[in-house]
Amino acid sequence: MNQWEVFVMDMGELAEGKDIEISIRTLNPGMHKYTYKHVRAQVSSTLDKFPDQLQVRMGRGQLSPAKFSIKVIEEIRRLPPQYS
Amino acid sequence: MSKISAPRSNREFIEACVKAGDAVRIKQEVDWENEAGAIVRRACELGAAAPFMEKIKDYPGFSYFGAPLSTYRRMAISLGMDPASSLPEIGKEYLKRTNSEPIAPVVIDRKDAPCKENILLGADVDLCKLPVPLVHDGDGGRYVGTWHAVVTKHPVRGDVNWGMYRQMMFDSRTMSGAVFPFSDLGKQLSEYYLPRGISCPFATAIGLSPLAAMAACAPSPIPEPELVGMLSGEPARLVKCETNDLEVPADAEIIIEGEICPDYKVEEGPFGEYTGYRTSPRDFRVTFRVNCITYRNNATMTISNMGVPQDEGQLLRSFSLGLELEKLLRSQGIPVTGVYMHPRSTHHMMIVGVKPAYTGIAQQIAQLAFGSKLGPWFHMVMVVDDQTDIYNWDEVYHAFCTRCHPENGIHIYRNTTGTPLYPFATPHERKYSIGSKVLFDCLWPVDWDKTNDVPTLVSFKNVYPKDIQERVLSNWTAYGYPAVK
Repeated sequence: MNQWEVFVMDMGELAEGKDIEISIRTLNPGMHKYTYKHVRAQVSSTLDKFPDQLQVRMGRGQLSPAKFSIKVIEEIRRLPPQYS
Repeated sequence: MSKISAPRSNREFIEACVKAGDAVRIKQEVDWENEAGAIVRRACELGAAAPFMEKIKDYPGFSYFGAPLSTYRRMAISLGMDPASSLPEIGKEYLKRTNSEPIAPVVIDRKDAPCKENILLGADVDLCKLPVPLVHDGDGGRYVGTWHAVVTKHPVRGDVNWGMYRQMMFDSRTMSGAVFPFSDLGKQLSEYYLPRGISCPFATAIGLSPLAAMAACAPSPIPEPELVGMLSGEPARLVKCETNDLEVPADAEIIIEGEICPDYKVEEGPFGEYTGYRTSPRDFRVTFRVNCITYRNNATMTISNMGVPQDEGQLLRSFSLGLELEKLLRSQGIPVTGVYMHPRSTHHMMIVGVKPAYTGIAQQIAQLAFGSKLGPWFHMVMVVDDQTDIYNWDEVYHAFCTRCHPENGIHIYRNTTGTPLYPFATPHERKYSIGSKVLFDCLWPVDWDKTNDVPTLVSFKNVYPKDIQERVLSNWTAYGYPAVK
């Protein structure tokens, strides 16, 4: 199980029941902790619905009590190819 | 100029601070995740010695140096002065050196440059190989650049810019940072690179000599490599980058080379800021793609932990903004006695002492201050007369509360340049960097009769004859009072 974190301005950004695009950062221990990926995913407030866990912070860094499970469908590469 | 013996590298500076009792060596292991940041923050809030953390969890061979210039004592050490020097003495020395002849930097061979001892290129490039700290819990990421210089160069004019633009690690090869449109780099990007869709080469230098960091932080019109030479009394040593034509401080601990992407942005923030708050919204900001990392053996990463006063962001920025405004006002022939920003104002209030020579002098000062390139960084100017000690907040506050007319003395300037970092700004103002400014004119009006209209200041110094003052002072302990320092 992976642990992820997302920053949102509004909890409405985490719509359930459909694919959403978000930037999430890994909370897995190790030297890459807190690095980001931009992904297409599904989230659910039912914690055992999806394999990974998602923690939420608000726009100024406040930790939200709300918890989600998350399924990362794919990583979306936004980076133009000339910078790869 | 007499010989200056200022520390020429971050390492020499740490040694000088330890020797003076202004840095402590922390031998036990410190976690890069929050613990190091918390140590630095507490040191700032206590005005304590700078922490030199010699062992970092997960990163053997690296160290941290926190709060490098968060006290005037360490600022004096950085200039090669007595640590006990007073603020006016330090300011006078800064003005003397920065009004001297420019000293051009020298470019040395890469084999002599300590920052080239380790070089990561290609698939080896990974920012996570550096001990990038999570400075505050809840920050949007680990911050690579908190006390550093982002080096860029205008491709046509050749202007070199070293600026302290915060940089967050987004992924192993990407950083994002807050570069405001009114900053030197912001102007360079909007004027040249963004319209052409061309990437801008950059190099981030971390673990600079304290005077190189001071130059990167100062809003001076003098190119930073020359300013470093003027401050230290000898040429700055630079070396060419591995992957672009920029030149970077050869003695820096870490160099990150890459390009600023004109067509790609990732999120940055939130971050604990110099105002003492997390204010600016998380947003898509200027994005830096990393192509190369070089670093010294046993490299030391410098950490500034911005928050409530006082940290070096507030202290050094207040110091240099005030003195650069003093230079500007003197260049216009305005009879100022001095300019001072108290660091606890989080460099928001400029206090100007002036001989009230003519009507409207306070407004002239405010217009020059707000209209200059320094202006976006503060929103209050308070003008007091030449009898008020600008460094003595009790005197300044008394002048403000008693001489500033609520209608005639307060002047508001609307729709000026602002920053998203202003805590008082509305969400709309933050989003569009809309500012507003205020002048507090604490001068007696020039058209008041000096004998009958201007109130007499009732103080020990002002109302008693000299002989009475001397008698009271010489008998003070005889009256039974303890001696006054």
